[in-house]
Amino acid sequence: METIKTKTINPLQKRRSRIFSAEARVAYICLIPAFLGLIFLTYLPLVGVLGISLTNWTGLKSPVFIGLDNYIKIFTTDPYIKDSIISTIYFAALSVTGSMIYSLFIALLLNRKIPARGFFRAVFYVPYVLPAAAIYVGWSWLYEGNFGFFNYVLSELGLNKILFIADSSFVVPSLSLISVWLAGNLIVIFLAGLQNVPVTYHEAAEMDGAGGWHRFRHITIPCMTPIIFYNLLMCLIANLQVVTPALALTNGGPGNSSRFLTYLMYDQAFVNYRLGYACATTLIIFAILAVFTTVLFKTSGRWIYNEGGDDK
Amino acid sequence: MSTAAYGRLRSRKRRDRILNIITFAVVILFAILAIFPIWWIFRTSLMTNAEIYKYPPSLIPDNWLFSNYEKTLQVFKFWKYLWNTMVIIVPSCLAGTFTATLCGYAFARLRFRGKNLIWALCVGSMLLPAMVTLIPLYIGWTRGLGFSDSYWPLILPYFCGGGAFNIFLIRQFIMSIPRELDQAATIDGAGYFRILFNIIMPAIKPAMIVVALFIFITLWNDLLQQMIYINSSDKYTIALGLTNFRGQLKSDWSLTMAATCLSFAPGVIFYLIGQRYFVEGITLTGLKN
Repeated sequence: METIKTKTINPLQKRRSRIFSAEARVAYICLIPAFLGLIFLTYLPLVGVLGISLTNWTGLKSPVFIGLDNYIKIFTTDPYIKDSIISTIYFAALSVTGSMIYSLFIALLLNRKIPARGFFRAVFYVPYVLPAAAIYVGWSWLYEGNFGFFNYVLSELGLNKILFIADSSFVVPSLSLISVWLAGNLIVIFLAGLQNVPVTYHEAAEMDGAGGWHRFRHITIPCMTPIIFYNLLMCLIANLQVVTPALALTNGGPGNSSRFLTYLMYDQAFVNYRLGYACATTLIIFAILAVFTTVLFKTSGRWIYNEGGDDK
Repeated sequence: MSTAAYGRLRSRKRRDRILNIITFAVVILFAILAIFPIWWIFRTSLMTNAEIYKYPPSLIPDNWLFSNYEKTLQVFKFWKYLWNTMVIIVPSCLAGTFTATLCGYAFARLRFRGKNLIWALCVGSMLLPAMVTLIPLYIGWTRGLGFSDSYWPLILPYFCGGGAFNIFLIRQFIMSIPRELDQAATIDGAGYFRILFNIIMPAIKPAMIVVALFIFITLWNDLLQQMIYINSSDKYTIALGLTNFRGQLKSDWSLTMAATCLSFAPGVIFYLIGQRYFVEGITLTGLKN
């Protein structure tokens, strides 16, 4: 039997040896769009951003090479950079933590046998399909200083009113609450993951007398670690690049409290036309993102449970 | 079954039922919290300004002022903005899905020289944050190609493979389809493109819809790029139109909220139509790691 099997000829295999075979030609034709995209939309601009960051280009005169001056300026004289880095990381920390806890919690609830599950899933998901700009405008009314909903609740509770997005100490937490509210896609991914946790594990554990918490801690969570990692990574990358709330709502204010790094870059490049300087800023954001994602990848081996086990 | 075991089972069942009722109650509570902001925005859009500033505020408008929407539509050119948005989204979705499918097919099925290298470049670009390339691209599109105040810089990138992530998704999906299918077609004399169009594409329709939906969401939520590429107000998209409108009518909350609700509407309608695929698509991404 085995000899017959190995000798079966795969009709596609015949053409393998040829380099410019019909197969390869077809592949190259299929890949032309992506190839152009990779060159002109990704890798060339990446070189471009490095190059421009070493110049004093404003878009008007031709650029002059100034070496690392932009970077030196950013770290010595830039009035915004420190606040920007702090507010970006602060926002990402709050949003990522909040989104992860909220979405895992809701997914766990929806994973139980409750009526109208599909309906509830839709309810939690819907904020995600609304245009982001509209969401921030809508929420700005909920956060309004005198007549907004949140201040109504606060005054009913006998507390002082808060200006939320107009108060520099509250603006970042207020904006991250919105981004937690937008975490509907994370819920759906978690839910899919939960449904893939083998029921047999739970049954076996229950036989051994493991309670609900134990099963959650020692079965559900370990089985979910790859999904948790995926969500964490996506959520982190998205939130560290936050810009829409600043563009749609706060313009970086009040003060500099919501001048997130990407907004800072936007402001320098498209409002002040300091293209070289903005490119240097971009690379600093890139570096911060790279550090965070690398840390996440490096530590992932320790806590991600791999179904495949030790056999690699 | 012993009586003790029977009793245990019964008490377990009862405990489960109580737990389910509690879960259901908590879900309802959170669902109300999640949907509440949208309701608050909507009810505001139907109120007079006097009613908005009334204390205590009412949850339901006294008389549902749909005329607010007429007023809003006079200032907020919603239909124009919606059309402009669709002019960007529709070609992008179609082209992006198609080119992503072509690439996904090549990576999943075909053998060619340099495959590993191109694949590595492709996957590598997935980890590259979008804002890194923003400024050089802006310069390229506006200075190099002269596309100032135009939709091309927003649409054309989707003619270039539809994004690494989407290519990846399609490739994974094609790889899950048995090769025997295309082999059988080869024996019948079908060429590679025939196989792609007649066998692969029908089989991966759900994945293609998912890719189209992802492109839709990306463009729908993007404000930054629209802001930098589009200048004149008659070319505004919904996102730009609304951001600008808010600036104009800072204190007229009912009209601003009416405009917000109008901007919500297409997404909600779109979601209700494509709900199944949305959820399926997100599920796909979550599981193919």
